[in-house]
Amino acid sequence: MARTAANGHLKPHLNQNGLKREDIKRNGYHNKREKNGPGTCVASRQHKQESFEQAPMYVAVMTYLGFGIVTLFGYFRDFLRAVGIEKCHLAQEREEQKDFVPLYQDFENFYTRNLYMRVRDNWNRPICSLPGPVFDVMERVSDDYNWTFRFTGKTLHNVINMGSYNYLGFAENNTDFMKTVAEKTSQYGVGVCSTRQEIGNLDIHEELEQLVATFLGVESSMTFGMGFATNSMNIPALVGKGCLILSDEVNHTSLILGARLSGATIRVFKHNNMHSLEKLLREAVCSGQPRTHRPWKKILIMVEGIYSMEGSLVRLPEIIALKKKYKAYLFVDEAHSIGAVGPTGRGVTELFNVNPADVDVMMGTFTKSFGAAGGYIAGKKELVDYLRCQSHSAVYATSLSPPVTEQIIRAMKCIMGNNGSTEGIRRIRQLAENTKYFRARLKEMGFIIYGHEDSPVVPILLYMPGKVVAFAREMLERKIGVVVVGFPATPITEARARFCLSAAHTREMLNQVLHHMNEVGDLFCLKFSRRKHSSRPDLHDETGLELSS
Amino acid sequence: MALGDCWKSLSWLYYQYILVTALYMLEPWERTVFNSLLISVAGMAVYTGYVFMPQHIMAILHYFEVVQ
Repeated sequence: MARTAANGHLKPHLNQNGLKREDIKRNGYHNKREKNGPGTCVASRQHKQESFEQAPMYVAVMTYLGFGIVTLFGYFRDFLRAVGIEKCHLAQEREEQKDFVPLYQDFENFYTRNLYMRVRDNWNRPICSLPGPVFDVMERVSDDYNWTFRFTGKTLHNVINMGSYNYLGFAENNTDFMKTVAEKTSQYGVGVCSTRQEIGNLDIHEELEQLVATFLGVESSMTFGMGFATNSMNIPALVGKGCLILSDEVNHTSLILGARLSGATIRVFKHNNMHSLEKLLREAVCSGQPRTHRPWKKILIMVEGIYSMEGSLVRLPEIIALKKKYKAYLFVDEAHSIGAVGPTGRGVTELFNVNPADVDVMMGTFTKSFGAAGGYIAGKKELVDYLRCQSHSAVYATSLSPPVTEQIIRAMKCIMGNNGSTEGIRRIRQLAENTKYFRARLKEMGFIIYGHEDSPVVPILLYMPGKVVAFAREMLERKIGVVVVGFPATPITEARARFCLSAAHTREMLNQVLHHMNEVGDLFCLKFSRRKHSSRPDLHDETGLELSS
Repeated sequence: MALGDCWKSLSWLYYQYILVTALYMLEPWERTVFNSLLISVAGMAVYTGYVFMPQHIMAILHYFEVVQ
């Protein structure tokens, strides 16, 4: 209740938060009105930096129209093949099996036969050089509409590589940098010929694991030969029946496969949506397991650092707060974010200033930023020691090859800046600069880009199937190699082209790519964005400059 | 010169039509089939309009009592 002054007029004194002084009692408890102050916490800052703009309605209509027409023609061609007018190049049931359950009638086979096969020259292109910032592509043509290919013998040289996961540019063949790798190859050979538990545990593996633990700031780590297998083979060792896995909507196939193999119950929450996650957590803690209502043995939240199809970053501080509140465990898959984000390349924990000990299981791969192969799992010593005994990958899979191990060691030492060299920091800064520049210029041109401003994965939405295919072919004509992704990997109406930036790209290469993107965008009418952006991206600052977007 | 520009812009418009309707992914004979179907349906609509439009306009005007 506000006190009125003697003359009946009330002049409210508003303090800093917009509250009347009368409403704050002496111990600081705010009575009735509480307005939200300006957002300065991490959550709202991240919300402003991420964007998932929706395309205008006509784009969705035309996408469905395009798919509808191709589907109709697909049915027509299937009819011709069934009647016998056209020869079927793919697998077909034999005459004797025609009365049994059909094998090739489901949607996936229909899609492969009638949509993918028509345009599959845009995928699986063979390259014949190092996947650095520029590479060589072998030219191949098809005489029968992509059912078979033949190589013409020509090579397209110096195609700009915008598809390789080469974030820090460590996919290089510079002999100075690779001296230690050559030495280790001549010392150990290339094959290990055994598993970690038998005779395949080399001293460089131990050195690598200690280095990874120091790099991440955790107690201990273990490395495996293959990144996909790290997820799919280790999650079954961590959770089992009677446990609950809360996994993000757009998690990678390796996480989904590992979760299914483990036998735990899986529940999916909306992408990066903390309300959805909290709701699921509350329900899980209150109701317990489905029929018996016993409490869950373990609740594991599985997220990724950078989601490779969306380019978005995980909301790590909020998830950690939720995890502590409901006593769950957290598994972060930093396949794309390790080495690529954070001021010194330590991943999302450094970017959000979070204690690495708060994340229970940190997983990552060496294929992306380190230019090698394999994956790691890091965390507390008890966890890693348990995995050494119980994980399928540790017991049965061959360990990392020595030259690959040495490549990871030298790349990690370079990032950590041993011997006082600044090469690692230079690469990280170059990647951050390239990311900011490229994203800002593309937004300014009018394309719809998904994801966070700092993420080096840039998905550009193309929507319509015809345009997606024409885009890939036209960019190859202009000597730029891009990766386009369509239905099974993305929702059917959101086909995109995904650019992966690298520290090895120079400003001239990026300008050339941007110039061609501009021309192709005008030629194919790909600039769907309805937002207006200023033309001076250098002015954009994170310290609260509230520009309308 | 103007004819050349006109031809270029028509060609660009046809390319856009091919891309949007995903006919770009189909083989040339399938494009011919689809285009001829579309043109025949559109032709039939125009012909029907041409034949019946006077009657329809007279009926509307009669309804609004503009002409008896």
